[in-house]
Amino acid sequence: MPTTPPALIAVPDTLDFGNPPAPSAPAGRRWQPQAAHWAALSIASLLLLWWALTASGLIAPLFLPPPQAVLARFGELLAGGYMDATLPQHLLASLQRMLLALLAAVVVGIPLGIVIGVFPLARHLLDPVIEFYRPLPPLAYLPLIVIWFGIGELSKVLLIFLAILAPVLIATAHGVTSVSQLRRQAALSLGASRWQLLRHVILPGALPEIITGVRIGLGAGWSTLVAAELIAATRGLGFMIQSAAQFLVTDVVVLGIIVIALVAFALELGLRQLQQRLTPWHGQHH
Amino acid sequence: MSLLQVDKLGVTYPGQSQPALHQVSLSLARDELLVALGPSGCGKSTLLGVLAGFIAPSQGRVLFAGQPVTAPGVERAVVFQHDALLPWLNVHDNVAFGLRLQGADAAARERIVADTLRLVGLADVASKRTWQLSGGMRQRVGIARALASRSQVLLLDEPFGALDAFTREQMQQLLLRVWQQSQRGVFLITHDIEEALFLATELVLMSPGPGRIVQRLRPTFNQRYRAGEDVRAIKSDPAFIALRESLLHSLFRQGHEEAA
Ligand SMILES: Nc1ncnc2c1ncn2[C@@H]1O[C@H](COP(=O)(O)OP(=O)(O)OP(=O)(O)O)[C@@H](O)[C@H]1O
Ligand SMILES: [Mg+2]
Repeated sequence: MPTTPPALIAVPDTLDFGNPPAPSAPAGRRWQPQAAHWAALSIASLLLLWWALTASGLIAPLFLPPPQAVLARFGELLAGGYMDATLPQHLLASLQRMLLALLAAVVVGIPLGIVIGVFPLARHLLDPVIEFYRPLPPLAYLPLIVIWFGIGELSKVLLIFLAILAPVLIATAHGVTSVSQLRRQAALSLGASRWQLLRHVILPGALPEIITGVRIGLGAGWSTLVAAELIAATRGLGFMIQSAAQFLVTDVVVLGIIVIALVAFALELGLRQLQQRLTPWHGQHH
Repeated sequence: MSLLQVDKLGVTYPGQSQPALHQVSLSLARDELLVALGPSGCGKSTLLGVLAGFIAPSQGRVLFAGQPVTAPGVERAVVFQHDALLPWLNVHDNVAFGLRLQGADAAARERIVADTLRLVGLADVASKRTWQLSGGMRQRVGIARALASRSQVLLLDEPFGALDAFTREQMQQLLLRVWQQSQRGVFLITHDIEEALFLATELVLMSPGPGRIVQRLRPTFNQRYRAGEDVRAIKSDPAFIALRESLLHSLFRQGHEEAA
């Protein structure tokens, strides 16, 4: 028995976990540092452009505050706060809503997605409902949610939950239905019951897509955060941005935007790591 | 005694006017290696699907050990061209998968899996993930998985179709060894004439429109290999070449009739 060739190694050379490397990227291990370099370059140029525009006096600080002003605000908000809460408190309030909504969307969306994927009848029944609400802008049904569920936390979390739910549901259902026919048949011939087929073949096979659904859902969730915190909030990054906007405190607005972007990106990176850890075969040729 | 018995089998897919299979009869015994050879679309995979219990016959019947086949069952294990392996399991766990599903005793399971891995030459890579293996190795995992299960016949749908010529030849020899040692009946689909002639103890040539058996042969090259003769010597033997050319001729004639 010859030793196995180390041709397909376990660790992918890509930064973008879960996706095959872009065809234009040079092959091999030079790719990862290059991707990181390009990202750093892109961010650095944006910052530089921002700084140059504000330093030259072309744009008034009311429209775009200089980076150093935003940085100063950051220090101020860490300790003193804005609108009766420090930046970490605003962040915590938003993060709590996001994570609660995410948890609910996962707990409801994945099982429901499986049911839709397994039973055509469930698909026929639920597909119109999902496709009815999915394209609606959250601000459009926000008043209804307030009328039905009041102005408490429930309504805020519900709005974010709905945004995350649709991608999770759709990805799960699609992941379940797209498990290869041959793989199912082979498992049946090995003695799998319907339940075993679901548990040992279909669900693990759908896992990469389910995690992708959660990643997309989380992005959708962040994009409804501000809308959710329009509902009589007293804390939260979205609330902070809106209040600051009303008083034209542009540096707080910019700071809020940057914090949301950073936190969202950190969560996305965490999910990519999780995806790579749980489904290392995803994106491999097999 | 024949394990699998197919009588005047016909299959018509819903909405199709022409049957995919028409009046197909054959039998497979425990010590036989039955090969179905034919051009694309002649119903080979459909036939395998019926034998495996994935597709219900429209006419005729299929019996396994005297009982009608109505659903997939562990006594009839399948191996496909593109491995239907589970990439989240390593090689060992893929091979153990059937026995695990069937709730086999752990000690017995480990013994069977170890024996099977050794038989197909995969003992060294037992802890690798399937996507870390070459195509030939993955097909060996597929065969090992089918063997380790409590199967009595193996149903293989172009198992070596995606492999290079060299690996393919190695796999053919491996299959003969497995078939001999494991005491299973083997039903193998291929559209490679040499492969069919070399492996088969019983060969059926199929033709499309409707899918049916047009010729039956009992090649003896497999016995010569088992008696110790070299593969290349067998495959370049004038008798082998003559049969190969005659089958090729039949296939071409089919093609012309199709076109006409
Ligand atoms: N699910 C299906 N529904 C309708 N027609 C089908 C279906 N599967 C196969 N067919 C048709 O039945 C015929 C036989 O198909 P089959 O897949 O059994 O051929 P094959 O001999 O395995 O071909 P190949 O060598 O390309 O794999 C073809 O004409 C095909 O189009
Ligand atoms: Mg086929």
